[in-house]
Amino acid sequence: MLELVKELCSLPGISGREDKVREYIISKIDGFCEYSTDNLGNLIAFKKGKMPAKNKVLIDSHMDEVGFIVTGITSEGLLKFANVGGIDTGVFLGRNVTVGEKGIPGVVGLVPVHLVDKDKEDCIPPKDELYIDIGAKDRDEALEHVSPGDEVCFESDFREFGSGFICSKAIDNRAGCAIMIDLIRSELDYDCCFSFSVQEEIGTRGAQASAFSINPDYAIITETTTAADLSGVEGEERVCVCGEGPAVSFMDRATVYNKDLYRRALEIAREKGIKAQTKTRVAGGNDAGAIHKSRGGVKVLTLSVPTRYLHSPGCVCRYDDIESTRDLVKEMAAEFAVC
Amino acid sequence: MKYTEVRELLEALCGKGGVSGNEDDAAAFACGLLSKYMPASTDALGSVTGRKGEGSGIILDAHIDRIGMIVTAVKDDGFIKVAKVGGTDSRVITGAKVTIHGKEDLFGIVTSTPPHLAKKDSDAKAPSFDEIFIDTGLGKKAKDIVSPGDRITLNGSFLSLLGSRIASPCVDDRAGVAAILRCLQLLEGKSTCPIEVIFSAQEETGGSGAEAGVYNFASGTAIAVDVTFASAPGVSSEKYGSLGDGALVGIAPSLDYNMSKELLALAHKHGISAKPEVMGGRTGTNCDEIQTLRGGIKTALISIPIRNMHTCVEVCELADIEAAAELMAQYILERSGENA
Repeated sequence: MLELVKELCSLPGISGREDKVREYIISKIDGFCEYSTDNLGNLIAFKKGKMPAKNKVLIDSHMDEVGFIVTGITSEGLLKFANVGGIDTGVFLGRNVTVGEKGIPGVVGLVPVHLVDKDKEDCIPPKDELYIDIGAKDRDEALEHVSPGDEVCFESDFREFGSGFICSKAIDNRAGCAIMIDLIRSELDYDCCFSFSVQEEIGTRGAQASAFSINPDYAIITETTTAADLSGVEGEERVCVCGEGPAVSFMDRATVYNKDLYRRALEIAREKGIKAQTKTRVAGGNDAGAIHKSRGGVKVLTLSVPTRYLHSPGCVCRYDDIESTRDLVKEMAAEFAVC
Repeated sequence: MKYTEVRELLEALCGKGGVSGNEDDAAAFACGLLSKYMPASTDALGSVTGRKGEGSGIILDAHIDRIGMIVTAVKDDGFIKVAKVGGTDSRVITGAKVTIHGKEDLFGIVTSTPPHLAKKDSDAKAPSFDEIFIDTGLGKKAKDIVSPGDRITLNGSFLSLLGSRIASPCVDDRAGVAAILRCLQLLEGKSTCPIEVIFSAQEETGGSGAEAGVYNFASGTAIAVDVTFASAPGVSSEKYGSLGDGALVGIAPSLDYNMSKELLALAHKHGISAKPEVMGGRTGTNCDEIQTLRGGIKTALISIPIRNMHTCVEVCELADIEAAAELMAQYILERSGENA
């Protein structure tokens, strides 16, 4: 599955431009399930299990990643841009990016620190002062290569490091996509539906539509969530810890989770010897926010890969946490199918 | 592809480490390149020096060190504390990918504060170097590889932008080193005055390398090649040069005015792109150290304009490096003619 994660993370796919990610996923699941793409671009799959399921279970992961969109081009040939999804400015100043379908390389420029007033040296410049430099001499040269509306992604630079860690852009949420592909390619005990959803990062828009179409009884959202297991951060403030398995949510800013499902996930993890932990803060939000109130309501469970430095060019997680998350998602899907 | 020679030199040089005071691998590599043209070695402070010909001629200087960080402590949990070396820009540090030059080269990433722990104005203020850690993903085992004093370079790729523009870490001042090596290449097979070359250590921490290294030279004339600001939003094109301007010839009270004028005249005569860059006092380059060495050295400055100085994405135009190389070569040929 590591190869899947690596290839998925390397693909460009900001919200609304998930095409390349979807094409890749189709190439991996073709022949293992029935699938279709809906009007928004959600890739919806149905996998037959060894047995029919009593309840309809949906597993959801979003395909999109945070990034930028070109809003205009200056007379000097520099690109102005808007954020797509929530990104702190501090993590992309002076970083490499790729622009448009052709992946034109560019860099995020800023006024050199030497020329900044002394009292502003540690100030992050306001977003409207920033630009992407693709090396164009003027607007005309830039326009030969890019247009307003072009997508901008962090440069893909996947690597394994440390003791079992990986670092890349877009681990949020290609880790979830890799898990779903892996499940679809494996043998499942019960029938199961899958939604590779679009536009999570701009407000869980894809999942709202796919949950309506699928009309599930239960949904398992496979995600990444903040691991703040950093130096000097103690106890529940860490949210979750790398290496301790999937974080199980009881509540976040978009969803109050079904308490039985939350408890059951921790119990089953213990029974099956799969590492798992409680997500110890009410923070963040994901597709569960849209799915749990779909139609007449859906019981939801979120299992997340603990990930440091989310929404940055260098998200960090442990590969074995992706494996544990897959294992628990698989167990819970089987559990919900017949409960 | 244009400017192949300069591109190859710069790409190879930018791929080396060499944070101030620990220029080893970059210096060794540059020393190898310089040895093609003259006997070269590394001096007491780590600068690369070489000499071709006997007696007084001309000194060419560019600095080989680069900005970065230094390990100050490895915590028990394996997270690494750092200080900056040179004017590393704290605004681009959050989430930066780095290489720690410990017992072996180690990948690391600068930690960023998760949203729930961030202060209200965290999107407005960059963390100080005291507040950040480096995460190696090794936990306690980091102590086996990393020790206080190890240097840290900021990762980045040598990115080909449109035309002949590139972005890379440490274009400051590998562009200057590349310009001097290219100049020597252009002069190959030509008879010249004595040439003394220094790729100086520790410019970013105050110029000690040039001050100590040039002391051992015999010439009374010097040209330093460094980078300067290129116009961009917030960087005035009236005050600073622009990418593509060619060689920017410094004019400043601390520089030799006649040399500046001669360089500009030679550029005009030979159709080399060049423009004056005027400063009101000292230059903030090795020229400041070189000028007053021994009984004084006539010093000129050629600058290559770059954007985003002291970040991992210093953008330059290869044509400007080529112009700097050509201009130095013409100046040396002119001097050599006079001497002959």
